[in-house]
Amino acid sequence: MASFFSTVKRIYLAIYNWAVFTGWIQVLIFAIKALNESGPAAVYDAVEKPLQLAQTAAILEIIHGLIGLVRSPVSATLPQIGSRLFVTWGILHSFPETRTHILVSSLVISWSLTEIIRYSFFGMKEALGFTPSWLLWLRYSTFLLLYPTGITSEVGLIYIALPYIKASDKFCFRMPNKWNFSFDYYFASLAVLGIYVPGSPHMYTYMLGQRKKALSKLKAA
Amino acid sequence: MKVTLVSRSGREVVRGGIELSDSATVKDLQEAIHAKTKKYYPSRQRLTLPTKAGVSGKPVALSPKSKVSDYCEKGNSDNLTVVFKDLGPQVLYSTLFFFEYLGPLVIYPLFYYLPLYKYFGYDDTNRTIHPVQTYAMYYWCLHYSKRILETFFIHRFSHATSPLSNVFRNCLYYWTFGAYIAYYVNHPLYTPVSETQWKIGFAFGLLCQVSNLHCHIILRNLRSPSGNGGYQIPKGFLFNIVTCANYTTEIYQWLGFNIATQTVAGYVFLVVATAIMTNWAMGKHRRLRKLFDGKDGRPKYPRRWVILPPFF
Repeated sequence: MASFFSTVKRIYLAIYNWAVFTGWIQVLIFAIKALNESGPAAVYDAVEKPLQLAQTAAILEIIHGLIGLVRSPVSATLPQIGSRLFVTWGILHSFPETRTHILVSSLVISWSLTEIIRYSFFGMKEALGFTPSWLLWLRYSTFLLLYPTGITSEVGLIYIALPYIKASDKFCFRMPNKWNFSFDYYFASLAVLGIYVPGSPHMYTYMLGQRKKALSKLKAA
Repeated sequence: MKVTLVSRSGREVVRGGIELSDSATVKDLQEAIHAKTKKYYPSRQRLTLPTKAGVSGKPVALSPKSKVSDYCEKGNSDNLTVVFKDLGPQVLYSTLFFFEYLGPLVIYPLFYYLPLYKYFGYDDTNRTIHPVQTYAMYYWCLHYSKRILETFFIHRFSHATSPLSNVFRNCLYYWTFGAYIAYYVNHPLYTPVSETQWKIGFAFGLLCQVSNLHCHIILRNLRSPSGNGGYQIPKGFLFNIVTCANYTTEIYQWLGFNIATQTVAGYVFLVVATAIMTNWAMGKHRRLRKLFDGKDGRPKYPRRWVILPPFF
């Protein structure tokens, strides 16, 4: 019984990882095509659909971690996926004025490169039972550059969206009301920016630790 | 006798070990370590016996009052290997609690008395202050003053110190929630509930605060002043039916405050605080049941609610 479940789990995870992998390949190809043909302002429109699909699918990964299907700690996956969803839906989708900014290009390229490597890494592990050492190296080395470029793009886009957020009433809930509750999207966005201050070093050092572990295992093997 | 002091990775912490008289206590050992290493004062030291290969469970911690020779293996009373862990800079528990509670005590009245809302974009000039907002401020300040006074005059802590990093973490929690709640209850656009409701809320809350104080006094009397913590079966008052009656009264006290002030912020705080205290309560209940298992002449821990009758 147990080995049946573990096979099902493997098949499911293999399908999941390769499916999202193809989504991100699409994002990268469409982005490069748009850059070549039209320039940075056109990148968002070209990638919107596969980007939203691939990024939102990542919510499943939080569930995978919670139910123990994968070993990744929720404390590492939640901030990453949270910030991605916030930027994808809460900034780019909701405030179209940001879509033509050049940071969208750097964002989309950083994200898609990272995710293509990550999903193929896990996809191979589940489907074939191993990963080639060059892929392992990529998985635990490209973040050194792509985390800073990605995080800078995310923070930058949130920052340029701020005046539009402030001027709009979107997602806001005002007082007075009988539950004495309010939600101000502008302040919430500022709070998110604040979280990046301790959050980014936390994620980066977490990956550095993972890199050390993974590459030392490689040497030992 | 000679004590060899190693770190968890096996490295010698004090080269050559420490020479002690055969009747030395662990406290003497701690002071000797402090003298040799300068920066590791006793409350920073965690001393345990090395774990044996294949034996599971937590390592045996050395108790300051015991003699070092008590931990030696039979027939080997001249030598002992002790594992050392640095717990990091420590502060007194009373220091930690004082700063945690000082924040809310000071921050809340700021929102009541000072015209801060204009910085949030609200017209602060002609606001009416509802009676419930004034009573809420008194209630809140009473609560945190009580906590500070209990820290210095009532509580007996199981450990004298806590890591310094906890000061930042705990202050973040208390001060942020304090400001978050104070912002809403003192808001110029605050909507009060009916007079009956807030009177009931505050009355219930006050009753629970008094009960909570009584619980703390009972807990204090379970521990002797010179003792090193330790556990007894709590008895009397609500402890006869609930293991962590002190947490119970604290939770219901916040419920009273929320019934009176009705803010989402206050209820969020209640839920988070309840979750934290429930976690502690489960640990305490489990510890007491394990300790008082009815064997070897020890009393058996009676069947009781863990923290929140009638739910749990």
